[in-house]
Amino acid sequence: MPPFHVIEPARLLVELIYTLIVVFLCFGIFYKTKEIYDLTKYEGVKYFRIAFLFFGLAFLFRFLSIFVMLMGITFDLDISMYLFRVFPLAFNGYFSTMAILLLTYSMVWKELSIKNILIVSNAIAIIISGIMFFLRSPTIMMGAQAILLVFAIIIAIYIYSRSKKISRIFVLYVLFILFWIVNLLTLGPKRFVPIEIQTIFHIISISVIGIIYLKVSKWTK
Amino acid sequence: MDKVKRKRERLEMIFDILTIIRNHQNSIKPTPLLRQSNLSSQSFTEYLNELLEKDLVKEITDENERKFLTLTDKGFKYLEKYKLILGFIEEFEL
Repeated sequence: MPPFHVIEPARLLVELIYTLIVVFLCFGIFYKTKEIYDLTKYEGVKYFRIAFLFFGLAFLFRFLSIFVMLMGITFDLDISMYLFRVFPLAFNGYFSTMAILLLTYSMVWKELSIKNILIVSNAIAIIISGIMFFLRSPTIMMGAQAILLVFAIIIAIYIYSRSKKISRIFVLYVLFILFWIVNLLTLGPKRFVPIEIQTIFHIISISVIGIIYLKVSKWTK
Repeated sequence: MDKVKRKRERLEMIFDILTIIRNHQNSIKPTPLLRQSNLSSQSFTEYLNELLEKDLVKEITDENERKFLTLTDKGFKYLEKYKLILGFIEEFEL
């Protein structure tokens, strides 16, 4: 019987292309908003752009995790677990948690004005990535980030209920974060979801971040 | 006053102050600027410090030791980009 190779070039290629596109768009948003932030030092813009910088980094570490995991499984490599698997996972958890928290805060900072939000969000992100580090479980990260997303939605609904309008941009954020969480399936026990379904998730995710990128580009000519 | 409105008005106030300076051939003394900005003395000082800190305006002193305020390149850029800045902040509800 031929050896069973888990690594699939097609899957890796899809992941690589997806990562490159999303990282390009996230870093592009960070770069394009630099001038507006430099001119205004506006708090909301600061959190918005840092959030996308962190999302970009989170996607990079996600890809690294997938790559190392598939290589390890396929070739039965005795790679240093901590250096190549657990660290990317922990960094992934840290950056993505920071991104979710700061993106949410960029929309509600005028109402909430939490002092030392960077310290608070860093503390939450370090706790989540610490749990990831010790338990090595992407499922826990998915759970924690799903809770954060629900929490963000509740805060936003509470704030928007006063203005009685549904924020289209917040809907985009929720979709983007939702697909980020769904994409974490690739790292977890359900990592071998069919490539077709995974690709559909990726396309929707790229479409959402693409819309955000185009909206940013409109105002940052 | 609504907190959201107040924070956005800050950008508008900065725009107004910078416009006054530009409309005076980019050179105005602090006292007429205070008068034309319709701000209290305390608020004006706060805004002026902010503008100096953000490098949007700079102080220059002429040969008679009189102080003038003038826009920096960044100040001109702020005026040029103001509508885009506001549009961006509104679009993303920041």
